[in-house]
Amino acid sequence: MPLGFGPISSGPIRSVTKDQATHDLAMWHFGVEPDLRQVIRIVADNEDVADEPIKLLEVNAATVATGSVEPYAFAGSASVPFSTVIAEVTPEEFERIKRNEIQLPKGWSLAKSQLFERPHAA
Amino acid sequence: MTEDEWRRGFAEAFIAQARSDWGVYRLLTEQRTHDGHTLSVCHELHYLQMASEKLAKAYRLRDTGSAVDELLSKHTGFAKFVGPFFTAVLKDEYQGKDAQLRGLIKRARTLARQIEKLAPATDRLATPENAEYPWETEDRVIAPCRHEFPSLDLLREPGGRAFLNLVERALENFQP
Repeated sequence: MPLGFGPISSGPIRSVTKDQATHDLAMWHFGVEPDLRQVIRIVADNEDVADEPIKLLEVNAATVATGSVEPYAFAGSASVPFSTVIAEVTPEEFERIKRNEIQLPKGWSLAKSQLFERPHAA
Repeated sequence: MTEDEWRRGFAEAFIAQARSDWGVYRLLTEQRTHDGHTLSVCHELHYLQMASEKLAKAYRLRDTGSAVDELLSKHTGFAKFVGPFFTAVLKDEYQGKDAQLRGLIKRARTLARQIEKLAPATDRLATPENAEYPWETEDRVIAPCRHEFPSLDLLREPGGRAFLNLVERALENFQP
């Protein structure tokens, strides 16, 4: 079973912290997605629970606008040994989320989040 | 049945149907290639669109808080799936090959949008071309079986085939 595809309830041995893995993943996404402007990590109340996935809301000008937030769940991998849930929105959709015109998925809130801005060199 | 069991049940059923649709897509593509193109391309594209949509829904249903009822009735999904999918599952495989992956993701986004538009209910006013039903354009009525779908020619080129191979891997390796 290639890593990243399998059931998200199990994963490889963890050699990095969730914070470090999240940072690395966000920076790598900036590197391969030229139109990615911001990555917002949604931090759950139970974020310290081992099986709580990394949750990323990605503001990407290259995605299609649908007027909704569509999160997809993926299993962990060797470099990101945590299950990950990713949703991408356009910059306009993100503005609408901030105005509460588009709802975030159940349990997601911008009130408790961590912002990654696009590095200048990326 | 709990809500989680209900969600997983639908995820498993969506991936099963997506794999079956994909099998027909491959069969029709092979058949069209070998029989001198007597089959219209719309038929294989129809199955490709259906497989892609159900694939995205299966991943969407897996351990997320998505509203199942809403997902069941929506046609869209695949175009917003490919970016997260490629960046989430290819990180280790493409270490040191960022430029290659950038190109792959860019092509994947373009193809995914075109594939999504093959569903007749998607963006019908802006892009009436679809794989199932006739449409009107410039005072002519077009049947899908007489249309070549040039926006998807890329599927037959190396970049398109790489994209299709990854979609196939997503289908084969998914576990609810």
